[in-house]
Amino acid sequence: MMKRKICEFLTVFLIYIIQITLGSKMEIGGIKPNLLLILPIVFGYLNGKNEGIYVGFIAGLLYDIQASSLLGFSSLVFSLAGYLSGIFYELFEQNNFFIPLIITFITDLLYETFSYVGNFMLHNRLDFLYFFERFIAPECIYTASCVIILFWPFRFLNKKFEKKERHEKRSESYVTRSPGSDS
Amino acid sequence: MREKIAAFFTSKYKLITVIIFCILLMIASLFTDRLATPLKAVVSTVVVPIQKGINYLGLITNDKYVSFEDNKKLREENENLKSRLDDLTEENNRLKQDTYELSRLRDLYQLDGMYDSYKKTAARIIGTNSDNWFTTFTVNKGSNDGIEKNMNVVAGQGLVGLVTEVGSNYCVVRSVIEDGSYVSGQLIDSGDKCIISGDIKLMDKGIIKCSGFNSSVEVKDGDKIVTSNISDKYLPGILIGYAKDVKMDSNNLTQSGYIVPVVDFAHLQEVLIITDKKKSGD
Repeated sequence: MMKRKICEFLTVFLIYIIQITLGSKMEIGGIKPNLLLILPIVFGYLNGKNEGIYVGFIAGLLYDIQASSLLGFSSLVFSLAGYLSGIFYELFEQNNFFIPLIITFITDLLYETFSYVGNFMLHNRLDFLYFFERFIAPECIYTASCVIILFWPFRFLNKKFEKKERHEKRSESYVTRSPGSDS
Repeated sequence: MREKIAAFFTSKYKLITVIIFCILLMIASLFTDRLATPLKAVVSTVVVPIQKGINYLGLITNDKYVSFEDNKKLREENENLKSRLDDLTEENNRLKQDTYELSRLRDLYQLDGMYDSYKKTAARIIGTNSDNWFTTFTVNKGSNDGIEKNMNVVAGQGLVGLVTEVGSNYCVVRSVIEDGSYVSGQLIDSGDKCIISGDIKLMDKGIIKCSGFNSSVEVKDGDKIVTSNISDKYLPGILIGYAKDVKMDSNNLTQSGYIVPVVDFAHLQEVLIITDKKKSGD
C-alpha cells in the first residue's frame, strides 16, 4: 500500500516537472494543457475514490505552491475531481477512456471558470465570452485530448501495481493465514 | 454489502477532511504568506535543480543538433570571416579612437549613460507558470546570488519586468505585459508621464496599453517611452517600447494608446537582473 502511494507521488512529481519545464514547448496558440488535473481523474477512475482524492490533493498542492496565491484552491478542486471520477470505478471497462475524458473536460471547465472569476471578474474584467473563447474553452479541449495520450501509460502502470499487490497479498496470507485486513 | 458501505463511508469522510483542510488553507493564505513560504522553499530546493538540469540538457542537445547541421556551413563561413576580420580590425581601431573621444565628451557633459551604469547580473529562464492566465517565469538566480524582491529585470534593450518572489536558488519575474502590471512611464524627450498597464487581451498582439497622457502632449507613432523617474519600483530611463496609435480619450482630458515593447517576450531565454534598487522614500 505504502509503495503504491510513493509511486503515485513520484508520478505526480514527474508530470509536475514536465508541466513547469516543458509547458511552454507544449503550447498551441498560447495555451498549455493542465496535465496535473488529468492525474487524479485517471487514477480515481482506475483505482477508486481514495486514490483519486490522494492524488488530487498532492497534485493540487504542488500546483498551488508553484502558481497561485490562494493555497488550497487547486487541491480542493483536484481532490473533488478525483472523487468524482472514482464514482465510475469498476462501473465501466477499464480500457474505456471516454469517461475520464468527459470528467476532465467538465472539471477543467469549472476550474478555469472559477480561476477567471477569482483572477479577473472580481477585478472588473467582465468580458466572460472573450475569456471563454480565448482561454477556457481551448484549454479544456487540449487537456481533454491529452487524456487520450496519458491514459494508456497510466493504465499500464496501474496494472503493474495491481499484479504486484495481488502477489504480495497472496504470499502474506500464506504466511500469516489471515486475509488482508487493511483495504 | 456491508463492506461496500464501509468503503463508501471511508472515502466520503476522507473527502470531507480534505475539503475542510483545503478551505482552512485557503482562508489562511488569504491573510498570511507564512504558510506558503516554507512549503515553497521545500519544493523549490528539490524542483529548481531538476529544472536547471532539464534546461541544461535541452541546451546541450540543441547545441549538438545545430553543430552537426552546420559543420560544413561553418567552415565556409570561417574563411569568409577571416577575410572580414582584417577589415574589421582596422575599423575597430578607428572606432576605438572615437569612443575615447565620446567618453571624454560624456564626462564633459556629465552624461555618463545612466543605463550602462546599473550593475546587472545575467540569469537564465528555467521555467514558466503552469496556467494560461499569467506570464510569470522562473529564473535561475536567487537570494544566494544577491537577488532581492522588486529588482528590475531587463533583456537586451528593454524592460522585462520585476522580481516578485525570491527563493534561495530561484526567483520569479513578473513581466510588464502581464494583466494587472502597472508601470509609470514617460516620453524620452519631453518627459511627459503616462501609465503603462498590461492587458491579457492585448497579449496575443504583443502590445501593452498606455494611458493618461496629458491632452496637450503630442505623441507620434514610434516615440520612445522609458520608465519614469517618479516610479517607486522601476529605475528611471529604461526603455519600455515605442508608442502606437495614441489618441484623445472621450473625456478630452487625457490621451491613451498602445506601446510596442522592445523585448520579444515570446522568445525570451536570458534576462539581466539589475541589482541596483530604486531608493524609495520608505
